[in-house]
Parts: sequence; C-alpha cells; structure tokens
Amino acid sequence: MTTVALAGHRPRPLVSWRVRKLVVGYSYLVPAALCMLATVVVPIGMAIKMSLYHDVLYKPQDYRFIGLGNYVRLVQDPVFWLTLWNSVVWVFGSVLLQFLAGFAAALLLQQAFRGRALVRTLTLLPWIIPGVVVGLIWEWLYQPNYGVINDLLLKAGWMHDRVAWLSSADLAMPAVIFTNIWRGIPFFAIMLLAGLQAIPGELYEAAHVDGAGVLGRFWHITLPLLRPIIVVATATRIIWTFNYADLIFVMTGGGPANATQITSTYTLMQAYSNLDFGYAGALSVVLLLVMLAFTAAYLRVTRGVEEVG
Amino acid sequence: MKRRRPAAELAERLLGGPVLWAGLIALTAFALAPFIWMLLTSLKSREELYATPLAYLPVHPTFENYVDAWTSPVTPFSRFFLNSLWVCSVTMVATTAISVLAGYAIARFRFAGRDALLLVFLATQMFPSVLLIAPLLTQWRALGLIDTYQALIYSNFSFTVPFTVWMMVGYFSSIPRDLEESAMIDGCNHFGALCRVVLPLAAPGIAATAIFAFVVSWSELLFAISFTTETSMRTLSAGLLYMVGQYEVQWGPLSAGVVLSTVPVAILFTFLQRHLIHGLTAGAVKG
Repeated sequence: MTTVALAGHRPRPLVSWRVRKLVVGYSYLVPAALCMLATVVVPIGMAIKMSLYHDVLYKPQDYRFIGLGNYVRLVQDPVFWLTLWNSVVWVFGSVLLQFLAGFAAALLLQQAFRGRALVRTLTLLPWIIPGVVVGLIWEWLYQPNYGVINDLLLKAGWMHDRVAWLSSADLAMPAVIFTNIWRGIPFFAIMLLAGLQAIPGELYEAAHVDGAGVLGRFWHITLPLLRPIIVVATATRIIWTFNYADLIFVMTGGGPANATQITSTYTLMQAYSNLDFGYAGALSVVLLLVMLAFTAAYLRVTRGVEEVG
Repeated sequence: MKRRRPAAELAERLLGGPVLWAGLIALTAFALAPFIWMLLTSLKSREELYATPLAYLPVHPTFENYVDAWTSPVTPFSRFFLNSLWVCSVTMVATTAISVLAGYAIARFRFAGRDALLLVFLATQMFPSVLLIAPLLTQWRALGLIDTYQALIYSNFSFTVPFTVWMMVGYFSSIPRDLEESAMIDGCNHFGALCRVVLPLAAPGIAATAIFAFVVSWSELLFAISFTTETSMRTLSAGLLYMVGQYEVQWGPLSAGVVLSTVPVAILFTFLQRHLIHGLTAGAVKG
C-alpha cells in the first residue's frame, strides 16, 4: 500500500547516485587490478618468500625454511659482487653513450630537410625490434671468421689478426655495450627531439639578434630548457638497462667466465638454468631494493628540478 | 663582437649544410647497416655465406634460406610464427579491453586509492622481469599451465597492462567531459556513454595502445623460454634462440628467421610511430 502513497514522488534510489558511480568506477578497475595482482603483486610476494627457503626445483626433498641463508650465501658469493660491478659498467657505459649519440641524433633530426619523416622512421628501427633479434644480428656481425666487423677492420688495416669479440674476457663487455648503444640511441633521440620541439623558436631568434653564436645558444637555451626531460629520460633508461637481461643472455650468456654477467642475467641464470629458486629469489629482492633506492633518489632529484624550473 | 661575425656565420652555414648532411648520413647508415647485412646474409647460398674472402653481395640471390627456415621439421618457423601471432593477438585484444576500462575509471572517477593505484602501475613498469620468472613458473606449474598459450598471455599482462593503462589515462583525460555528461542526461548509462561517445573519440589512441601491446609481446623472450618446454609451443623469439641451441649455428636459415621476425613489427611500428612517441613523451615533457 505504501507504494501507492509514494507514487507521486520520484522513488529514492536504493543506493545513492554517488555510491553507484563509485561502484561503477571500481568495477572498471577490477580486470586491471586482478591482472596486476596475479602477474606482479603475488609473484613478488612469492619471490620474497622463496628467498627464505632452500628451494631448488629438482631437489624437492631438500625444500625447507632457511631464514636468511640465501642472503648469507649471496654476501659471500664473489660472483654476485662481480655482477654488481659489471652492472655498473654496463649501465653507465650504455646510458652515457646512448645519451650523447641520441642527443646528437635529436639535434640532427630536428632540422628541416627533405625526407625527414622517412629518416626518422628508419633511425628508430633498432629500438623496436625484439632483443633476441638484436643479439643475433650482432653475434653474426662479431663472428670471428665470417663476421663483417673483423673483415672491415682487417681491410682497413686497423687490426692484424681476427678477434673473437664475444669470447674474449676483455672485449666481450665492450662488444655487448656497443650493441646496446646501437639499440638505445633511438630512445634518447625520441625523447630529446620531443623536448627540442617544445622550445619556442623565438628564444633562438632573440638570442641570434643579440649576437649569440651556435654554441652560446646551445649552452644558454637548449641545455637548460631540456634539463627536466634529460633527467627523466636518463633515469628511466638507467633503471631499464639495469634490469635488462635479454641482450647479454642471447649474446654471451654472461660469459666468458662471467665477464659479462650482470646482476639481472645472474638472477635469470639461477632461476632458468640452475632452477635454484631460493637463491634467485634472494637476488630478485636485491634487484628490487637497488631499483627502489634508485627511484627514491631520482624522485628527490626531479622534485629539485621542478622547484628550479 | 663585429669582428667575430664572419667566423660565426661561416660556422652556422657549415652546421646547416655539410655537417648536417654528413651527420644524417652517418646516423642512418649506423642504424641500418646491421639490418642490411642480415638481409644480404639471408639471400646468400651456403657457399657464399662461408666464403673466404668474405663475399659482400650475394652473387646468386636465393630464397632457399627462407624456405628452409619456414619448413624445417626441427625448428618449424611457420609454427613459431603462428604461435607468436596468436599469443600477441590475444594479448593485444585483452590488454586493450582491460586498459580502456581501467584508464577510463582513473581518468574520470575520483576515488580513494587512485593515486596509489597510478603509482603501482608506474612502478611496475620499472620492475625487472627476471624477478617474475621463478614465481610465475611455480604459479603456472601449480595451475598446470606449462606449455599453454594462456601462461604466456597472462605473463605478458605483467608488462603490457601497466604501460597501456598510463597511455589510456592520458588519452581519456584529453577528451572533454561535457560530451559524456550530455549523453548521460539524454539517458545513457556510464557504460553506454563510454561506448558511444568516448571510445570513438579515443579511437586513434586505442589503436596505438593495441599496436604497442602487440609489438612488446612480440619481443618477449624470457617468459617464452621459461614457461614452454615443447618445440611446438615456442614463439618466434624463443624459436630463434632454440635454432642457435641446435648443434652448429646455421646462419643461413637463422638470418632468414631474423628477417621474418623483424618485418611485422617494423611495418606496425611505422603506423604507430607518431602516436607512440606522443604517448611516451607527453608525461616527460610536462614533468
């Protein structure tokens, strides 16, 4: 009977409009949240748990809790410390030269010339092809007997003997870093090109009228205005390169004698080849901590940049 | 000042002319030479490939390497190709649907934990994928998903979804709210307004997101080698590595395989380029 009495009014919804909107919003998020939960959050938790166990896949009878045992092993493992140092060499060698060459490429690609769109697309190619493809292409270029690099260097007279680039303890690291530079130049070129295009042209014209030369304009206009994007691009790249394992895994597998073993490939080897999930878990936690420390430092630096800019 | 002028002008003329052209040629040559060498290699016969002195150009170009790679019973490239196509297509469609919904919710609704969620999506992009291998392998083994497409597709979400959600938030934020609000006053519910008003406007962005998801899953290697054991389940990346692992490296068929793996992503990328670059740099330029 009450319904009749209320018929004249607009019925008050059972759940208010605001709550309904909230429910709809959350329901849109459910699939993405589930994905992240199943493929990232839970696995990270599992990795942390694994790091506290003796967990070797083909020795299930030995599976037991060992507390910080894997971490103690890690601190005493000379290969681990070597991989940390190799990671530093790998990251800084790669990123510094990628940045310099990418900056030069961005300055070139910013100029107006015929066929600019085509040149841009072509120069970006190394960046989008699969890592395993990059690794194999360069393995073939570096090949001691049939590789074109040895052949060209011999013909130019810069070398007298064929060099086994990837199986020499001294040359393997520079060789993989060079490949990574080839691959990473386009990333910096894209980022810095976008930054260059955001700089108003009037600034350069005004400086030109005031008599500033090419170098002066670069130093006083281009560099300061690009600083925020340089910081962001470099930081992203440092983290990404530190984590990146595909290229070294394909080209050298960390060898010869761990000369190119970086921390991420070492973790991969422990999980993939040795099936030692406990130790791989401990290494993962270290990778994670290094990443977090770097991100925290980076956030402090960028906050500084924003305040200055 | 006056005396320095001619020298400065000469420097500028040089930089705009010869230096620019020399730089561009060097840049393009450096980027392309390795590809060209691989292409030439794939067209050589076995004798030319291992000739001394090195033969730079194939005298009798042949497609036998491509035929070998494609039909080989040991390393069936046609199978690898189809596996990759299937895994990447499903990843692409699912990732796009998931990130359209999540991106729209984050761009349009204010709710508790919104910033925290955005931060999770950003932080995950920075996580090393080697960290996920052991736990995911344990997880897929427990679920009996080893040697299935599902395991590869689900694992791909770990790196596609965080990035595409960010891209979608950017696209949706740039679409004015008034349009959906008027659609909702006209009687559409939220989902209707999303499908009929917002999606058509965001179509270019959504297409870019989809292609991005396809391209990055095409490159995926570590999950593919860890979660499959049978040759018939390998993707292109894993299959290429498997070809290297087989006895002596056969550079002829391998180079053909490398070319075949490069072409699809290179074509997709030329379509995607402008959108992807916009998506990648938008945040960075502002920050």
